[in-house]
Amino acid sequence: MNARHRLPFQAGAISVLAFGVCILSVYGSLMTGGRSDIRLSDLFAASTNGAVILDIRLPRTLVAACLGVNLGLSGLILQALTRNPLSSPSILGINQGAALGLTIGVIFPSVGALVGLMPLAAIGALVAGFMTFSIAGVFTGRIVSLRLILGGVAVGAFASAMVRFSFTLEDDLARQVLRWTLGNISDVRWHHVQSLFVWSLGGTVATLAMAHRLNLMALGEAQASGLGADPRLTLMIGALMSACLTGTAVFVAGPIAFAGLVVPHMCRFCLGPDHRILVPATALGGACLLMAADAASKWLTSPVELPVGVVVAMIGAPYFLYQTLFSKGAI
Amino acid sequence: MLFRPKTFSSLAAGLMALLPFSVGAAEITHELGVTDVPDAPQRVIALEFSFVDALAALGVSPVGIADDKKRQRIVAEYTAVIGDDWQSVGTRKTPSLEVIASLQPDLIIADKTRHSGVYDTLSQIAPTIVLDSLGGTYPDAIEQTLVIGDALGLKDKAAERVAEHEAVMAELIAKIGNESHGVNAQFGVTNATGLWLHSPLSYNGSLLEKFGFSSSMTPQEGEVYETNYVPTTLEQLSVVDPDLLILGKYADPAFTDGWAGEALYDSLKAVEASNVYTVNAHKWSRMRGLLAAEMTANDVLEILTEFSGKQ
Repeated sequence: MNARHRLPFQAGAISVLAFGVCILSVYGSLMTGGRSDIRLSDLFAASTNGAVILDIRLPRTLVAACLGVNLGLSGLILQALTRNPLSSPSILGINQGAALGLTIGVIFPSVGALVGLMPLAAIGALVAGFMTFSIAGVFTGRIVSLRLILGGVAVGAFASAMVRFSFTLEDDLARQVLRWTLGNISDVRWHHVQSLFVWSLGGTVATLAMAHRLNLMALGEAQASGLGADPRLTLMIGALMSACLTGTAVFVAGPIAFAGLVVPHMCRFCLGPDHRILVPATALGGACLLMAADAASKWLTSPVELPVGVVVAMIGAPYFLYQTLFSKGAI
Repeated sequence: MLFRPKTFSSLAAGLMALLPFSVGAAEITHELGVTDVPDAPQRVIALEFSFVDALAALGVSPVGIADDKKRQRIVAEYTAVIGDDWQSVGTRKTPSLEVIASLQPDLIIADKTRHSGVYDTLSQIAPTIVLDSLGGTYPDAIEQTLVIGDALGLKDKAAERVAEHEAVMAELIAKIGNESHGVNAQFGVTNATGLWLHSPLSYNGSLLEKFGFSSSMTPQEGEVYETNYVPTTLEQLSVVDPDLLILGKYADPAFTDGWAGEALYDSLKAVEASNVYTVNAHKWSRMRGLLAAEMTANDVLEILTEFSGKQ
């Protein structure tokens, strides 16, 4: 598969570039924030500054990285499953479904307390994904691309309309929901890292294990089942994983659009279509994008912070547009 | 005034009956222009709590209040004067225009930040004056009480009431003396998901300034939720680092409660010296005006007594 695909860059150049970008985004994310007197050396200092970097900035950087991993992988899985380059958690309505699940938990605290907000987000993501996939005709055995995208747009629009309805409710409630829907990680701590990290790590391992199945999906469903991988099983596991990865990300940060769409594209553009390489690359690329966006969110309008979701959209949307306009046949 | 019989046909009759009042109307200058208000309006609708405060200060009962659909938000101090004979017109953010119209008001008092978008529609229902309550300071709130008095045809009474209020405040400030001088005090509200500090440009910030406190917040530019009610992370709070932190909590546990035990939070001056005080979030944050300021002043006096005791 690799041999037939001409890569635009040398492997060595890509590794150096990836390493540089990664270091820069970690540094940027760690060195920005409400205080200007924090240095990297404070990481090992037993002072207030040390506490700032250990208790506040490091978990935030890690949360950003985990979000990038989750959203990137979720997008990669969806694009492979549907053989549609436009698939991503936000375009298939899965992000918005997760946000709706969360919003229901916030508006009805009894439901939120009973089920828990994180499961509610995952359930919302699953239900939205299920609806989009049904509209696309998955259960009749064949995915119609156009119906998939239109179905996703419809489901997403419905879910975000319901979320937006909550803005008209009481001020305090509206502000809570608004904070979520913008994609905000301005006050995360270690316990957020704990809940996310498990999913990011597990998700990466599981997706890596599925990489071969995802490669087969790219050949088409008939060929995939001819080669011994039941596409329905791949579809089911993949959809479930994608919903869980998205749900956990939305629970912590709110629906961040474009990360799931752009990162797999960027990686495919640089590294070719083999999922055994794409899975780790997408995880790393997603982490870098979100950490860089986190740095920008703290720095651009300092001292008031931008929601990280807004910054990701500011980076992601132009890249996606560029790809759409200038790629030859890839999209 | 413009009437659109098609849209408000059911109201036309009621509004026509009010027309004679507009003869010899007073011209009231407000945030969005000048409005002819009939002499001594009888059916007033208040779309912010500070306007209710002004009505209570002047002893006028409104027919409708945007009470956020929670009647208890109009506190006993207000209902003792204005009674309970008013209807809810919905939330302050999106009041129900239908209910407002059905109450056949002859004066609507609206907020600049919240209601500028529906000003034209409100003006078709009744003469509407728009004042900057949400984005205004304490001196603005006093000024607005005078404007509302003017609109109600109670100009002298309003001036009298404001003078009375200023005497009460002067007495309280005299009690505070110079205890507040050089003390950096900061008020903020916290719900389940965040902390918003009320900057010196806000009502509470300017009120604390009036009591002689100082502030170390850097003023911002932008809209109300950037300049007046500033979303603040723990790291940003540690830069402001006030001597006295006054919190209004809308949730239990509040967002800031989650910071307890964190090294950075514990190193805040106010936290180290146990000078974090909790006040009634509703009375401090949502209510503005003469009566509200007097309630706040009593809280401040109590807090300061305790604070000074520790010094």
